[in-house]
Amino acid sequence: MSITTPEYPATDPLDRDIATMLAEDARLSFRKIAADLGVTEGTVRGRVKRLQAAGLLKLAPIVDIARGRDPGASGQHLMFVTIKCVSGKLEQVRDSLLAMSRVSALYDANAALRLIAVFVLSSLEEAAEATNAVLSLDGIREAETELVLSTIKYNAAVGPIATLEDLATPPVVSDD
Amino acid sequence: MLARDGRAQSTTIGEELGLSGNLVANRIRAMDAAGQMRVVAVSDFRIHGYRMLARIRLQVSGRAPLDVARELAARDHVLSVHITSGRYPVSCLYAFHNAREMIEAARDVSAGIGGVEDVDVELLNNVYRYIPAVGPLGA
Repeated sequence: MSITTPEYPATDPLDRDIATMLAEDARLSFRKIAADLGVTEGTVRGRVKRLQAAGLLKLAPIVDIARGRDPGASGQHLMFVTIKCVSGKLEQVRDSLLAMSRVSALYDANAALRLIAVFVLSSLEEAAEATNAVLSLDGIREAETELVLSTIKYNAAVGPIATLEDLATPPVVSDD
Repeated sequence: MLARDGRAQSTTIGEELGLSGNLVANRIRAMDAAGQMRVVAVSDFRIHGYRMLARIRLQVSGRAPLDVARELAARDHVLSVHITSGRYPVSCLYAFHNAREMIEAARDVSAGIGGVEDVDVELLNNVYRYIPAVGPLGA
């Protein structure tokens, strides 16, 4: 297996405090954050830039899944697919999944023995198509699909978001 | 435009779309208030001091999965909880500061929540893609 996890960039409590304030209001002014945290506005701006460049912070609009991504859409479905790959085929399967536009998140788990893909789908027909597409991939030993029926708790502010690509290209951004 | 830059100023967006900044700001506020769309700042779990993240799935017997899910959701460091169609009807994302916490949490979920028949723990390693575009904002 040639997948290795790059070194994780160092962060400190100021990064955490900035991320926590932005989690409350992503459009909060840097001036307000700086005043509350007792640092300069330039420091906040620099920290946010650095975190974004490192892939550790993403500022983006999220559309409610019940309403759909497009205006007038009736809603979307989340589907988790857990895949056990044939030995030595994980990277091939991973690349095939990354080529699927409906895959919104992809992780490996348990020392790269499994892949976990999150699909965002417009209909149950699309869920069936996605399941067929996954099961048709070469290198799959076992695949398990789970449709999300309801969400009891959801933290939109914290998650596994820094990709291997982000971590492999450390940012060059100064503090101010 | 917000997808490109979640902090883009309303006036900047308005200029590009040929609209007034006020109109853009009002639309963003209205979509947020209606729960249709929210600009989020999502940060990696490690910024918050966590070192490990696991998906924990539960098989449930003799109890409604919804009750198990609610009990699980009340625990600290559980980031999300879903009811799913699979053989593990309850699925959650659980964050930990160290391996001991993860082991204790798995034991606690298994023995401490009534109706849990089996626990499947998957420690997330590498992230290959993460696109924050759609989420269950109403949860």
